[in-house]
Amino acid sequence: MSANNGGALHLRGVKKTYGVGENAVRALRGIDLDVPSSQLVMLVGPSGCGKTTLVSILSGVLDADEGSVEVFGVDWRALRSAEATKRRSELMGFVFQSFNLIPTLNVVENTSVPLLVRGLGERAAQRRAAELLIEVGLGDRLKSMPGELSGGQQQRVAIARALVGKPRLLVCDEPTAALDGRTGQRIMELIQSAARGKDEAGRDRVVVVVTHDNRIFHYADRIIEMEDGRLKPTLSQHVLEESHHVPTFDPADTITQK
Amino acid sequence: MYRLALRMLTRDTGKYLALVVGLTFATLLITQQGSIFLGLIKRSTGVLQNVGQPDLWVCDPRVQTVLEIRNMSDRDFERVRTVPGVAWAEPFFSSRATVELTDGSYKTAQLIGVDRSTLVGQPPEVLVGSLDDLRAPDAIMVDESSRSKLAYPEIGDTLKLNDRRAVVVGICRAKLGFDSNAMIYTTFDNARRFTPLGREKIPFILVKTQEGADVPTVASSIRERTGLGAWTRDEMEWLSTRFILTQTGIGINFGTTVLLGFIVGLAVTAAIFYQFTIENLKHFAVLKAMGTRNGVLVRMVMLQAITVGAIGFGIGSGLAGLFSLQGRRPGAELAPYLPWQLLLMCMAGMLVCIVVGSILSIRKVVRLEPAVVFK
Repeated sequence: MSANNGGALHLRGVKKTYGVGENAVRALRGIDLDVPSSQLVMLVGPSGCGKTTLVSILSGVLDADEGSVEVFGVDWRALRSAEATKRRSELMGFVFQSFNLIPTLNVVENTSVPLLVRGLGERAAQRRAAELLIEVGLGDRLKSMPGELSGGQQQRVAIARALVGKPRLLVCDEPTAALDGRTGQRIMELIQSAARGKDEAGRDRVVVVVTHDNRIFHYADRIIEMEDGRLKPTLSQHVLEESHHVPTFDPADTITQK
Repeated sequence: MYRLALRMLTRDTGKYLALVVGLTFATLLITQQGSIFLGLIKRSTGVLQNVGQPDLWVCDPRVQTVLEIRNMSDRDFERVRTVPGVAWAEPFFSSRATVELTDGSYKTAQLIGVDRSTLVGQPPEVLVGSLDDLRAPDAIMVDESSRSKLAYPEIGDTLKLNDRRAVVVGICRAKLGFDSNAMIYTTFDNARRFTPLGREKIPFILVKTQEGADVPTVASSIRERTGLGAWTRDEMEWLSTRFILTQTGIGINFGTTVLLGFIVGLAVTAAIFYQFTIENLKHFAVLKAMGTRNGVLVRMVMLQAITVGAIGFGIGSGLAGLFSLQGRRPGAELAPYLPWQLLLMCMAGMLVCIVVGSILSIRKVVRLEPAVVFK
């Protein structure tokens, strides 16, 4: 069963390699990581350092080659594909850099998708979606199509879509990269507020944000820096400067590196 | 989720219209080519379709098509009449004749000669004039749609048939033959005068069996007792069709064109839908990452495929139907024939291709790593 010491996310010895032989790319070289609940964790590092691979594995959309991955006690590697898909719909919420809204569905339809995936009726799903859209300030754009919205509005729809199912783990991949500074700040306020929220059963949740955007570092409860498929034991100088004294991690404590 | 699938399909207006238009034209191509082919084949039996009364067509046993004429003798005719089970038998004339128009030009016509007293084999519908008038010397009736080929003759006009005088006494309506030549009716005696055929003068004998008699048995008796061929209309039609398909270049030449139409239409259908799904792969990946099961995604794709296929097929077959109706106008040179069997075959073909196109694209959806949403 779980070897998790009360942490929401619990990774041990996670490795992932793409390709074989001379062309093999070792994306993750052994990640050990524990994250407690109610945290907004930022995963930073240069392109190609393995951030996206790590959140993909955390989200259960990609299998690790080695190691264990537990998310709120769910061991992704122990689940069969169909079961993992079902658990993903219950546990996960996603926000993407390019929003990934379905362009042929209007705002409220896009937002209700996670509830429909879970089997909720369309009317009830849209009612809940509409409530959340009002909360994120899009009450007047329920019937708009994604193409009619600004980038910031689209990202707010994406956040509403990610939160409508009240997931325990919200994964945000570069949520502010396509937005101007001011809109990015507003989006981060929403994400930060989500991190303080609860899931459907009233339990704490975790938000993991992958980002290059140093303007938003100060929203993090914790910053984790990656380099070459590993977690760095200490933050780089520029990250430290931008983070405004956000707690990082103690290699001897909850977040470690092999 | 299935409503979402339909919205994803129909709200992408450009692609949706491209799909529908593509499938519509694929259907139209298949059904139109097929119906023209079948229409041409059916026209080869036009003479047969104009004659409703008899049960059997008797002719020289070597005849392979109603278009081919090998004359029988008066003696053959008398022998057929005496076969048990035959209620009546009447001679029937069908041959080509040359018509000289008033401007001096010539046209080939299909000359039909019916028995003067019984008028068995008469035109299916008389539009102007009376059938009785056909009994007058040199009298002919011209098919309505053939009038344009013969410089629009009116009642009372005189034409030259094989250099003999013929008087138009009526306008009728009949189905044209394979070569779409003008159709002219007259009596058997007149026809023999217009077109001398030598010693043996009867191309066909039309036979009605006695009430209660078994038609195949009577046909068999005629064959045994006279050595002639005896066929029901359906058998004669099939004989003529088979001749066209196997003994002329039409079967292989037009058949190849039709087959290509089928292949192109069906390939286009499969390719269009495959492309549509591939273009939506990213959205399916998002749904998959959110926890949509493969089974649901497969059913969403199939629903999209069947919906767009049904709409495309409906419009395409509707247009083919309109095209077919156009071809039924009197005088139309086109000969489309659109039986339900052709539509069913087209629908089955479209369905197979859509399903194949869907399966090819669904494989990509099923194998899709939801992790692509992060790329």
